[in-house]
Amino acid sequence: MAQFVQTLALGLLIGGVYALMASGLTLIFGVMRVINVAQGAFLVLSAFVTWWVWRATGIDPIALAALTTPLMFGLGWAFYRLVGARLRSAPPSMSVLLMFGVALLIEGLLNVTAGNRFRSATPGYFDESYTLGPISLPKAPLYGFLAALAVLAVFYAVLDHTWTGRAIRAWAQNPSGAALVGVSAVPTATLAFALGTASAGMGGSVLSVLVPFFPASHYEWIARILGIIVLGGLGSLPGALTGALILGLAESLTSVYVSPQWSILVFYGVIMAVLIVRPQGLFGTRVREDVAA
Amino acid sequence: MLTLDGVVAGYGGGDVLHEVSLSCPPATVTCLIGPNGAGKSTVLRVISGLLNPRRGEVLLDGVLLSGLSPRDILRHGIVQVPQSQALFPKMTVAENVLMGGYLLRKDRALLRARRAAVEELVPLVRERASEPAGNLSGGQRRMVEIGRCLMLEPKVVMMDEPSLGLDPHSLAAVAALIERIHRSGATVLLVEQNVRVGLGLATHGVVMEGGRIRLTGKAAEIAAHPDIGQLYLGAPTTGGQ
Ligand SMILES: Nc1ncnc2c1ncn2[C@@H]1O[C@H](COP(=O)(O)OP(=O)(O)OP(=O)(O)O)[C@@H](O)[C@H]1O
Ligand SMILES: [Mg+2]
Repeated sequence: MAQFVQTLALGLLIGGVYALMASGLTLIFGVMRVINVAQGAFLVLSAFVTWWVWRATGIDPIALAALTTPLMFGLGWAFYRLVGARLRSAPPSMSVLLMFGVALLIEGLLNVTAGNRFRSATPGYFDESYTLGPISLPKAPLYGFLAALAVLAVFYAVLDHTWTGRAIRAWAQNPSGAALVGVSAVPTATLAFALGTASAGMGGSVLSVLVPFFPASHYEWIARILGIIVLGGLGSLPGALTGALILGLAESLTSVYVSPQWSILVFYGVIMAVLIVRPQGLFGTRVREDVAA
Repeated sequence: MLTLDGVVAGYGGGDVLHEVSLSCPPATVTCLIGPNGAGKSTVLRVISGLLNPRRGEVLLDGVLLSGLSPRDILRHGIVQVPQSQALFPKMTVAENVLMGGYLLRKDRALLRARRAAVEELVPLVRERASEPAGNLSGGQRRMVEIGRCLMLEPKVVMMDEPSLGLDPHSLAAVAALIERIHRSGATVLLVEQNVRVGLGLATHGVVMEGGRIRLTGKAAEIAAHPDIGQLYLGAPTTGGQ
């Protein structure tokens, strides 16, 4: 029983971190209408930056999110302003190609500068746990979860309760409707894109402690968070949260009760089962073709 | 006075509007009619700044609007209720209406006052406030769309086929709303397929065909015009009102 509770708890902690990563991806989907296949590379880039600064200064890697989050926000902002916005009227496949190119570029740069080896930030609490009666909770995922939760709360508060958030949601739901109430397309999309990359900044710092990574790890990460938002329904934030928790739980339950090798397989099994019943995902709405005028 | 002068516009390929000139005097209701594909919605898109004209000018009270962004054109007091779905389906009705005041977002007191005024004109906005707009019926969405555009207390209200898909009851409600907007002193530019209803509401009429203006005049004259009778009303009309 204790083991079961502990496994559930760990699954939820990891799920919270996934939720942050997936929210960013789904937000970018909302404005670009394509999957940002470079999101995994942004994550890994941020993990490397975290690792470097941690090694050089000894500052706590999770606390370094205070550096990587604004850094990735700025990078996303500049990138969308200079490059992404130009593709708004191009076919979606062009955006996918562009972002894939960006992912390869980041991977290549990391290979050259950091070398093709596994890295992992290992602060003092790396292998410590809190013990609550029969349950022991590892500190690193717990801190990562709390940090992710804090950022997610800000994220949702911005989206739900500010004019900026309303503009982003309006634009994602109906671009021409948004233009007709005075929402400017490029600044709004840029902000949404930058918030999405900022979440990868935060997620990367947490990741650097939780899972060893190397430059090509981004393939695995994009597959994971893409799976989450497909499961939850493309573009749906509640869907991203639910999908992330399901993935966290599925992974942690499978690795304890079956074997770690099976965990990702079980998750994709769940995705396929859901998509057969609900092709639009758990929270997705079928894309309407008649929205834009 | 809203004026189009020699507007040529299109979507990439050839021209859709060929030298369109028309004017809507202040505090009138102009009804734009014409067959499918005549370019009626395109005219509204050009005025709203969603489509830039290739040649020609759009002016409001002598101020050049063509070339401005949709946001700046809104700032000049020109709003549009487009032909197809304009709302944000996952937002609540209240939030949709609030978004109509996006340009006023810095002024909370003004927003509150405007929202109260809109709720007074369109009671549905209050009754279904917390429901997602996507849950409303087509006619109800129309009412919310019209309510939303009134948040800016516009000088010019453009509506693209407001009667589309409405039952007689909703149609009467929309017509009454248009009357009220007109009486409040705003200029209305209406696109209508339901020519009887459209010209009934209007003071002036404009007939378009193939991207060109065919006929302009007082609504009653247009309704009585023999071509219009045969083309759109199915039978000669008695004319006048
Ligand atoms: N987004 C677009 N891209 C390319 N062509 C378009 C687009 N929108 C309209 N058109 C073309 O422009 C022409 C005029 O279209 P418009 O929508 O203005 O007609 P309309 O008079 O409003 O017709 P309806 O009564 O069917 O609404 C049509 O030939 C149409 O094919
Ligand atoms: Mg039309």
